[in-house]
Amino acid sequence: MSEVLTAPLVVEFPFTRSLGPVQGAFLTGLRERTVLGIRARDGRVVVPPVEYDPVTADELRDLVEVAPTGTVTTWAWNPSPRRGQPLTTPFAWVLVRLDGADTALLHALAAPAPEAVRTGMRVRIRWAVARTGAITDIACFEPADGAAAEYQVTSHSGEFADPVTGITAPARLDYAYAPGGAQSRYIQALAERKTVGERCPACRKVYVPPRGACPTCGVATDEQVEVGPRGTVTTFCIVNIKARNLDIEVPYVYAHIALDGADLALHARIGGIPYDQVRMGLRVEPVWTEGARFPDHYRPAGEPDADYDSYKELI
Amino acid sequence: MSEPVRGPVREVAVVAFGQSEHVPDSAETSEVEMLMPVLHDVLAQTGLKARDIDFTCSGSSDYLAGRAFSFTMALDGVGAWPPIAESHVEMDGAWALYEAWVKILTGEADTALVYAYGKSSPGDLREVLTRQLDPYYVAPLWPDSVALAALQAQALIDTGITDARELAGIGARSRGGTDADPGRQLVGPLRTGDCPPVVDGAAAVILAAGDTARRLVDRPAWIRGIDHRIEAHSLGVRDLTDSPSTRLAAERAGAFEAPVDTAELHAPFTSQEVVLRRALRLDAAGGTVRVNPSGGALAANPVMAAGLIRLGEAAAAIHRGASDRALAHATSGPCLQQNLVAVLEGER
Repeated sequence: MSEVLTAPLVVEFPFTRSLGPVQGAFLTGLRERTVLGIRARDGRVVVPPVEYDPVTADELRDLVEVAPTGTVTTWAWNPSPRRGQPLTTPFAWVLVRLDGADTALLHALAAPAPEAVRTGMRVRIRWAVARTGAITDIACFEPADGAAAEYQVTSHSGEFADPVTGITAPARLDYAYAPGGAQSRYIQALAERKTVGERCPACRKVYVPPRGACPTCGVATDEQVEVGPRGTVTTFCIVNIKARNLDIEVPYVYAHIALDGADLALHARIGGIPYDQVRMGLRVEPVWTEGARFPDHYRPAGEPDADYDSYKELI
Repeated sequence: MSEPVRGPVREVAVVAFGQSEHVPDSAETSEVEMLMPVLHDVLAQTGLKARDIDFTCSGSSDYLAGRAFSFTMALDGVGAWPPIAESHVEMDGAWALYEAWVKILTGEADTALVYAYGKSSPGDLREVLTRQLDPYYVAPLWPDSVALAALQAQALIDTGITDARELAGIGARSRGGTDADPGRQLVGPLRTGDCPPVVDGAAAVILAAGDTARRLVDRPAWIRGIDHRIEAHSLGVRDLTDSPSTRLAAERAGAFEAPVDTAELHAPFTSQEVVLRRALRLDAAGGTVRVNPSGGALAANPVMAAGLIRLGEAAAAIHRGASDRALAHATSGPCLQQNLVAVLEGER
């Protein structure tokens, strides 16, 4: 059994989201150190405000201002903060019912130790120094003195100068990608400049690259079969748009290539021939570059073109 | 206001269930390599060939794999060419089973293959699951799945509904009584013993209608009712100590019309079992309901498959005569956000 391969894989997006009238007002308000809630159909003040009633699903629009102080309704002690979380030292996750609100907001509470935190404790918002119109404009909550006073919410238009209409929410997840048995075997053979497919025990087809299963029979491919190195262009396209970070002059040809002995075409770039002379049936061979783990491209092998009948089932 | 609960318009049963070994790291196998033996297992149990299956439905998540359309690769294990009737949910496989059940009710299929798989090992599951949260107010804070469950657990402790001792007992029972150590605190009040092991795994079931089901298995596990409901999406709007969506789903599935003898609950955290037992009234005086004889999600929690496994375990108990009427529950999202309840029965 060959060594199982893994490789780091980072998935990262700066999600750009539009906010609409309710969420936009709330997040703009945070920028201005003003906390807005919304009046639900049953009279409850929902903070953070939602666009639709949590019970009836009616559209909600009656914004009100609530206090920057509140009461912890439940909490959880986080001894090891993780990437992206509001504080870098141990803190408490809290749900806080702000004075004037009937529902609770999730955020972090700065506290020295779990002994300093309890449900029912009074807290207030610690504002971030630089505020942009995001939930992180609340840096965190901090302990506050004084009992909850009866707080009269006031109606709010939700209008601010220079309103925030969207947020950019960066998201990054880190993976260790493992391609599994069949694909590891394929990649390891490539490192020795061999293309090794796998055969289905039922229909006898040879899959290149192998994925571990025959998609027709639904069984594991079990026999390694070296294919190529030469093959036949079964179909192709001409690429006219330059890809970012790809140092290949356009136009160039990208093709499906049926390697000799394979029952599935793989795809690769065709070089060493003007783009407008590539054709179905062209016989090609791989071009390896120093240190690469896969062929850089395929070039004409200098043989007569393959007969259409020899590859028509592989198009 | 509530309409009367009616039984399904067609008899549909779970006729086979299989699952993989659940391992902390399955780097040596791809998704399809992990899944395929499970698919072959359920087909072999019924004697059906892949070509005999009218409809195939799966559940998995691209966020676990870190790749778009990752489920299409797993489909190779089904033998999906020439094209089959197939669907996928980016949810736990329990919801794939729901879709397949509806498909059979319509009369468009008599048999269905349902499978689910999850490989958590490539990523950091606690971080991955933050990406399912409200992207405006919550996800930018990156509250991880254990932290959110811990907020729920603390609320239960504050109201006196449970305590650390009961939670430790649930953890120990789920792990077969051999591991009574509550472990170290992960996110207080939750300890490692309150939290599910992070594993990779796969599961599959086969559904069949009426006489087809009777032909395929000695004792079909008939789905007498199944329903799923969801809570308001903001955690701070909900009462975290209760699960009205579970109760409503159970009502609509007919769970309260007669006692069940077995309940397979999808409670990834010990505190969530407390919430579910109350919502499902499993602790009624004199009650003898066996809760999670399989060990539940606290013993093995392959994300995206653990809910389907609850349905499969309940059905398997009926197949082997260990249960006559079982409840199966699956959940999705933070703090029991969405809940599915099914009632399964064997013919007596």
